[in-house]
Amino acid sequence: MKYNLFAACLVLLGIGACTDQHTTRQQLDGFIYCSEGSPGSFNPQMDTSGTTADATAHQIYDRLIEFDPHTNKLEPALAESWAISSDGLTYTFQLRKKVSFHQTSYFTPSRYFNADDVIFSIDRWRLDDHPYHRVSGGVYPYFVSLGLTSIVASVERINGYRIEIKLTRPDSSFLANLATDFAVILSAEYAQQLLDDGHPEQIDQLPIGTGPFVFESYRKGRYIRYHKNENYWHHEVSINQLIFDITPASSTRLAKLLTGECDAIAFPAYPDLNIIKSRANLQVDEKPGLNVGFWAFNTQVEPFNNPLVRKALAMAIDKDTLINTVYSDSAVRARSLLPPTSWAYQASAKDSSYNPVLARELLDEAGIPEGFTFDIWALPIERAYNPNARKMAELIKGYLKQVGVNVNVVSYEWSTFRQRLREGKHDTVLIGWNADNADPDNFYRPLLSCAAIASGTNRSNWCNEEYDSLIDQALLYSEPEVRSLFYQMANTILSDEMPLVPIAHAYRYQAYQNRLKNFDINPFGGIKLGDVEKVR
Amino acid sequence: MGQSKLYLEDHFPSPVKHTWIEFRRNHVSIIGLWIFLFFVAVIVFAPGIAPFSPTEQNTDVILLQPAWDNSGTIVHLFGTDSLGRDVLSRVIHGSRVTFGISILIVLIAMLVGFSLGAFAGMGHGLRASVLNHLLDAIMVIPTLIIAIIIVAIFGTGLTSCMWAITLSMIPKFIHLTRDLVRNACHMEYVTAARLDGASNTRILFDSILPNMIEPLVVNGTFALSVAILELSALGFLNLGAQAPTAELGAMLSDGLEVAYIAPWNIALPGAAILLMLIAVNLVGDGLRTALRNRLQQ
Amino acid sequence: MIAYLLRRLNLFVVTIFVVTLATFALNYLFPGDTLENLSGISSHQTAEYNQIVQYHGFDHNIVYQYGMYLQHLWKGDWGISSSSGNDIVEEIKLVLPATLELSVYAMVLSLFIGIPFGFWAGLRHRRPIDLGILSASVLGYSIPVFWLALLLILFFALQLGWLPMSGRISLLYDIPHYSGFILIDILKSDIPNKQDALSNAIRHMILPTLSIALVTATIVIRITRRSVADVMQSDYIRAALARGLTRPQVFWRHGLRNTLLPILPQLVLQFTTLLTNAMIVEVIFSWPGIGNWLMQAVYVQDFPAIRGGVLAVSIVVIIFTLLMDIVLRVINPLKNRDIHGTI
Repeated sequence: MKYNLFAACLVLLGIGACTDQHTTRQQLDGFIYCSEGSPGSFNPQMDTSGTTADATAHQIYDRLIEFDPHTNKLEPALAESWAISSDGLTYTFQLRKKVSFHQTSYFTPSRYFNADDVIFSIDRWRLDDHPYHRVSGGVYPYFVSLGLTSIVASVERINGYRIEIKLTRPDSSFLANLATDFAVILSAEYAQQLLDDGHPEQIDQLPIGTGPFVFESYRKGRYIRYHKNENYWHHEVSINQLIFDITPASSTRLAKLLTGECDAIAFPAYPDLNIIKSRANLQVDEKPGLNVGFWAFNTQVEPFNNPLVRKALAMAIDKDTLINTVYSDSAVRARSLLPPTSWAYQASAKDSSYNPVLARELLDEAGIPEGFTFDIWALPIERAYNPNARKMAELIKGYLKQVGVNVNVVSYEWSTFRQRLREGKHDTVLIGWNADNADPDNFYRPLLSCAAIASGTNRSNWCNEEYDSLIDQALLYSEPEVRSLFYQMANTILSDEMPLVPIAHAYRYQAYQNRLKNFDINPFGGIKLGDVEKVR
Repeated sequence: MGQSKLYLEDHFPSPVKHTWIEFRRNHVSIIGLWIFLFFVAVIVFAPGIAPFSPTEQNTDVILLQPAWDNSGTIVHLFGTDSLGRDVLSRVIHGSRVTFGISILIVLIAMLVGFSLGAFAGMGHGLRASVLNHLLDAIMVIPTLIIAIIIVAIFGTGLTSCMWAITLSMIPKFIHLTRDLVRNACHMEYVTAARLDGASNTRILFDSILPNMIEPLVVNGTFALSVAILELSALGFLNLGAQAPTAELGAMLSDGLEVAYIAPWNIALPGAAILLMLIAVNLVGDGLRTALRNRLQQ
Repeated sequence: MIAYLLRRLNLFVVTIFVVTLATFALNYLFPGDTLENLSGISSHQTAEYNQIVQYHGFDHNIVYQYGMYLQHLWKGDWGISSSSGNDIVEEIKLVLPATLELSVYAMVLSLFIGIPFGFWAGLRHRRPIDLGILSASVLGYSIPVFWLALLLILFFALQLGWLPMSGRISLLYDIPHYSGFILIDILKSDIPNKQDALSNAIRHMILPTLSIALVTATIVIRITRRSVADVMQSDYIRAALARGLTRPQVFWRHGLRNTLLPILPQLVLQFTTLLTNAMIVEVIFSWPGIGNWLMQAVYVQDFPAIRGGVLAVSIVVIIFTLLMDIVLRVINPLKNRDIHGTI
């Protein structure tokens, strides 16, 4: 009977508790961001996934330089200033003084940030024989896919607050790469301490950075807990607690935004935007995104090694309907890899057109019989570039049935999915790319260069020497007009070879409670929550 | 009873008929029976009734509202889902899958359960005892857990879930059969048959089985309601039927994506499950009451 | 009684043995490498691999392997999750109490709703009120629990905005883990604004508890009603009534105990159903319990976690059944048959 009493109290308390919801929430100066998935690592150097970048890159860490989200210009961060030699091979950075690393239960810094930390952070991904290079898998997909490991010749310390980076060849996108989510600065002192303790892999699980928030705890699939960095060098952080509430279903995120359980949500579903807009206390921002959603063929698998088959399949689908249905018109049709906002965008690029009859003829020509069956892997989570890949896969399945081709839609949990994708076990995949900086090279190289096969960002496993040499040459020039010409030639190769079908460039949306201030869309990569304020 | 009778004669209906007369007295049960028969008709004629194919995508009418709404059309009576598929057709086909497979599950479980139960009931000693203990162990494990194991081994899918539910249902039928057989064995008519020299098999099929049919049917209906509930729950949890198969639970889980803007996508499949379960439970309740009333008289 | 306890204990040991044997077999049945399914470690380095082989006895025959498995289970080493790399026993310690908490509250609430209504209906057998309650219970009994949960969310959380719809407590409160029962943990903790945390936790609890409890309550109503109706029609009650006692007198003096006794074993049987419902509802309310955890494990094919979760739930259910069996035996020594029955 004890239980009964207890339950009676519960019911009473419950009724009483209904009234004081608002006071409760305001007493705690916390910010709950409902994200779409678990980060793969707490070090964005190790992972190109947007989920990882969102959760870590701008929350825990800083970079030498940053993109200003409004002007798209580079601005100083941990480097106060920089200079480039006239031959474009030597970069000198003057570092900021009196920047302290996080103090946590597992690490207490004894010194300020200095040149050693920069050298450690770059050498870790650059040098094969670095003691930390092989830690946590030793894969640095972003740097490898862009060929940065071979571009950087040396990183030298000039004095405690001055470093010099030498390149092997001029690279007009180098500074932009240093400002991406992935070029974070880690603590060399922490690394040394872990090495001495014999747990070097902890550096990617219990992170230490200089950013606005300090890591507290993480439970996979549930939450990440941060608290504010009292000594943030840049500005005062107004939020005491930052919590990532990991909520994979977009409908659940919407519901939690409506009930006030989330202050902001990642990737609101397009059909839901009108609901959010109709609520007085909610706000939706939109910006054209630097991204591309595409359907990639694994060109190392029969029969997708045949360009004829790839072109036929590209012709069999109606891209406009896909965009209508999946993106609810919140996207523009992709002609090639680059979105219209990029300066190298080519409006005249050749685009595939919907023609199921011709598609069937091409398939016949390639010897693909009626009833041929293959897999479409649909990415399991929402991304700006593809908010609902499963739905898109179902639609494509419908289209391909009309040309006598059957499709199995396959999907795994996100980290498993990426793992198997990297192993090249797919036939075709619906996925996409979110640019990390405004440079066109950030589309052409990681998506389709030969080097990107090894680093796992080239989902087509497609390697074409002519294409590679074109995008290499583009980097040798700094004039946009000249570089554009090279990219146009690359576009022609792509439309002939069709290693992937570009589908759409989507707008980026952000939905949040309008008592949040300074919550801006970062057009390049991960979200930035350091400036956010919560008005009472 | 307008028939005039020449002789005054007591009329003794057969037991089954007697139960039916008792059952018919309860109007609610009769309504349940009609809904039940309606669903049976849906199973048989689904492709004929459904106006569209359940997987046909019409991208011109995405998330169309149901006909009773202002912007709905009569072409899509229940509206369409987020891929432009006709919800009515999907509900019809979904009911067919959910209801049909549930019936199949119960029939298989009943058949296996009866055979093993009869064995356990007629037999004695160690074999029966081991069987009983094993059964007790399996019986307490929730179906969901058994389903998770089977899905983990064979992968998600309708077949995996079907076997999982069947497997978890068999012990209940074994128990039931065993108890019925044991009780029957002490009855005088069985003893009489035995004294006549009838074999065990003969006793089972000629003397015991006829008396077991009614309790088996009653328990079968309740098992059917459990099977529907579990099959749709597993579909809802994405362990069962996979897209684009129309199965009511899986449809509910698909509908979740658009729960707020298109609530009919979860309301209608859910209502179909509800209606199905009400029908089965009403029939089950009615049968049980009828049986009880008959036996009490 | 001692003979009875021994028999029960014997059965318990046999059952646990069967369950461990079954979960051990799962390592072989699950797709992929058996050793990986057992340990959760996928190792390609020879030295480490050999160590794992030795640790799990995989250099011996299968009986020895099973022995090692039992030994590890007993020591609390259930392997590590292949998706998160955490120790499975630690994870289960976090999630299992959450499920039990939800189930206990739901059970209590359903008894609170179910028994009074059941008595009411049973005492007014075949009158309008009985039919009303019975129809309502058929309706409630027929509602799929996951649909009910969704409707409750749509109405109370989204339409009215009264109650939250996910988790056990707002993540802004960082409650240290102590017993795993959130209310106890809050009371034990030394966080500021304890009162707020408590009311927040209770608000999170209402909808999931209600969805499970409503479904279970309808079953409790049916069981109670049936039992009361049977007892009130029995000869000794009729005899008492014939002697001129009032209905309340008869009921309190003669009916109550006799109606409750047959109900209890049937209620115990409902625990499994309730636990299943709780595990389903957890997924909908993102309740961090073992159902939610197991489903995640299934989605990512985390076989060591699936095995661990299955074993944990089975052991809980078996222990619960055993305890209830003994309790029932103590309450009602006349009953000598094992419990099993129908709704």
